[in-house]
Amino acid sequence: MEEIVFGSNIMQLLIALILVSTFMILGSTRLYSCVRAFGIQSFLLACVAGIVAFSTGKIDIYIVAFLTLAIKAALIPYIFIYIIREIKVKREIDLYVNISPSLIIGGILVVISYYLIRSINLITELSSFALSASMSLVSIGLFIMISRKKAIMQMLGILIMENGLFLGAISLTYGMPLLVELGIFFDVLIGVLIMGILIFRINKTFETIDTDMLKTLIG
Amino acid sequence: MIEYLLLAPVLTGIVCFFSKTRKQVETASMVGSTATLLLGLVLVWQVYKYDIIITWQNALFADAFSAFIVLIVSIVGFVASLYSIGYMGHELDHGAMDLKRLRLYYVLFHGFMFTMLLVGVTNNLGLWIAIEMTTLVSALLMILYSKKSSVEAAWKYMIICTVGITFALFGTILTYYGAVNILGETGDALNWTSLIAVADQFDPTIMKLAFIFILIGYGTKAGLAPMHTWLPDAHSEAPTPVSALLSGVLLNCAMYGIIRFYTIATKSTGVAFTSNLLIIFGLLSLGIAVPFILLQEDYKRMLAYSSVEHMGIIALGIGFGGVFGVFGAILHMFNHAMTKSLMFFGAGNVLLKHETKEIFNVSGLVKSMPVTGAMFVIGTLAITGSPPFSIFISEFTILAAGFSQGHYVATVLFLLFIIMIFAGFFNNVSKMAFGTPKQGIEKGDVGRLMLVAMGILIVFVVVLGVYIPPFFYEMIMKVVEIVR
Repeated sequence: MEEIVFGSNIMQLLIALILVSTFMILGSTRLYSCVRAFGIQSFLLACVAGIVAFSTGKIDIYIVAFLTLAIKAALIPYIFIYIIREIKVKREIDLYVNISPSLIIGGILVVISYYLIRSINLITELSSFALSASMSLVSIGLFIMISRKKAIMQMLGILIMENGLFLGAISLTYGMPLLVELGIFFDVLIGVLIMGILIFRINKTFETIDTDMLKTLIG
Repeated sequence: MIEYLLLAPVLTGIVCFFSKTRKQVETASMVGSTATLLLGLVLVWQVYKYDIIITWQNALFADAFSAFIVLIVSIVGFVASLYSIGYMGHELDHGAMDLKRLRLYYVLFHGFMFTMLLVGVTNNLGLWIAIEMTTLVSALLMILYSKKSSVEAAWKYMIICTVGITFALFGTILTYYGAVNILGETGDALNWTSLIAVADQFDPTIMKLAFIFILIGYGTKAGLAPMHTWLPDAHSEAPTPVSALLSGVLLNCAMYGIIRFYTIATKSTGVAFTSNLLIIFGLLSLGIAVPFILLQEDYKRMLAYSSVEHMGIIALGIGFGGVFGVFGAILHMFNHAMTKSLMFFGAGNVLLKHETKEIFNVSGLVKSMPVTGAMFVIGTLAITGSPPFSIFISEFTILAAGFSQGHYVATVLFLLFIIMIFAGFFNNVSKMAFGTPKQGIEKGDVGRLMLVAMGILIVFVVVLGVYIPPFFYEMIMKVVEIVR
C-alpha cells in the first residue's frame, strides 16, 4: 500500500518540490519571499496529505490535509506578513552564513539525511525517499534558525522543522491518530501566535528584532 | 474525577479573567487553587484505592505515577498561589505592575496549572501536546515584566524548548510507527495503557532511535545538560512564584515524560542502553552545575543551576535502576519540588526587600529578615543534601543504588559533584545570610502570607527527612513498580 501511494510519480514530484521550496527559503534574502516559499511548502504538504487521503479513503487524513491547507498554508503566512508589516522591519534578512555557503550546506544536509535514512532503511526504498526529505527539512530548518539573525527567521525555522516532521509522520504511518494531529495543529498555531507576541515585545524593548541583542544573560 | 480536576484551574482562570478588583481576583485564585488541591488529593486517594482510573474514552487516565505528578503539581500550585498573593500584591503596591497585569498573571497562572495537570493525566503519549502547551503558557508568564532581560529569557526559552520538543515529537512518531506494526492503526496505538502491554514486542532499533530523540527532546525541557542553556535565564527572570512552579513542578513534568518512555523503551532495547544514556546525561548535568554554582553571582541563577543538578540526580537514580534507584529518584522528584520552591520563595522575599539579585549586595539576612533568613538557611542545608532533611534520604538511596548496582565510577563522580556543590552553595548562601545587614535595609520580613507559604513547604522538607508516612511509602512503591 505504502509503495503504491509514495511510489507514484506525482508523489515523488511533490516531495521534490517541497525540497525545492526549502531551498527557496535558504536562497532568499527577502523576508516576503521566505514567507511565500513557506506557504508554497505547506501547500505542497497539504497536497501530499490529500493524495494519501484519497488513496486510503480515510476521513481523518482528509481533515488533516484540510487543516494543513487552512492553518499552515494560509493562516500562518498571513500572521507572518502581519508581523512584518506591523513592526516595519527592514525587509532584508541579515545572515551569519551567506547565501551561497547556505545553499551548499543545505545540499550537504540533504545528502547526509538521505544516507542516514538509507542506512536505517526502515521500510521500502520509495517511502524512505519521503522520509529522507523529511529529515532534510528538519535539519535545514535547524540550520536556518542558527544562521539567520532575525527573530522572525528563527520562528520560520521551527515551522520548517515541524513541516518536516509532518511529512515524516505521514510517510511512516499515514499520520498520527487524529486527536494527536489536532493537538499538534493547535500547539503550532498557538505557538506561532505567542512567538508573534514575543517578537512584538522584543521589537518594543530592543527596537530591533536582531537576535544579536539577546546576548546579555550568560553565566 | 479527572475531568473535574482539569476543570478546576480552567474555571478559576475564567473567573479571574472577569474579576474587577484586586480582592476579587485574589479570592478567586485562592479558592480555585484550594479546590484544585482538594480534587488532586481526592484523585490520589482514588488511585490509591483502585490503582488505575480511565475515563473519556481512554483519553484520560491516572495510575500511581500520574497521581504522584498530580500531587506535586497541586501542592506546589496551592502554595505558589498563596505566595503569589503576597508577592504580586507587593509588586502591585510598589507600582511594578498594574491591576490589568495582575489579572492576566492569575489567568495565566491557572492556565499553567491546567497544562501541567494535563501532562500527568494524558493517557496518550501525545502528552507531547500538553508539554508544548506548558512552554507556551509559561513563556507568556515570563514576559509579564517588560524588562529587557525577561524578554530575552522568554525568547530563548521559547525557541530552545520548542526545538527540543520538536525532536521529542519525532521520537513520538517513531514510537507510534513501532506501535502500528503491532497494534494496527487504531486511535489507541499511542495510549500508555495499550503500549505497555506490548512493549516487549517493539523493534529494538526503532525504539533505540525513538528513545534518543525523546531523551534529547524532553531532556531539553527537563533541563538536562547540555540542553539546559535556557533554564538559568528563564528561571531567574520569571516572577518568583512562577520560578518555583517552573523549577519545582514543570521540570518534573518533563522528567515524567522521559521516565514513561524509558519504561516502554527499556522493555525492547534492554536495560543497558536506556540506563547508560540516563546516567551519562545525569552526570553531565551534575558536572556542568558545579562551576556555575561555585562562581555564581546571582542567587536566583544559583538556584536555577541547582535545578539542573537535581534533574541530573533524578536521571541518575532512574539510570542506576533497581528498586532503590527508582525509589530514590521518585522520592527525589517530590523532595526537590518542595525544597526548591521553598528556596525560590525565600529568594523572592530577599529580592523584594533588597531589589537586587546579586549575592554580594545581600548580607545579614538572619538579622534583617529573621524568619525568611532562618528558613532560607534551612532550605540551603536541605537542598544540598545534608541530614536530617528530606533530600538527604533520597540522595542517599540513589547513592546506595549506584553502589549496589555496580556503577562505581558514576557513583563516585556523583558523590564528588554533590560535595563540591554543597561547598559552593553554602559559601554563597553564608555570604547572604550572615554578617551585618546592608545599610538602608529595615529590619523585618515582608508579607505574612509569603511566610505561611514557606512554612507549609518547610513541614514537608523536615518531616520527610525523618519519617516517611506508610501511605506515601506505599504510593511511591506503586510508582516504582510501574517504572521498573
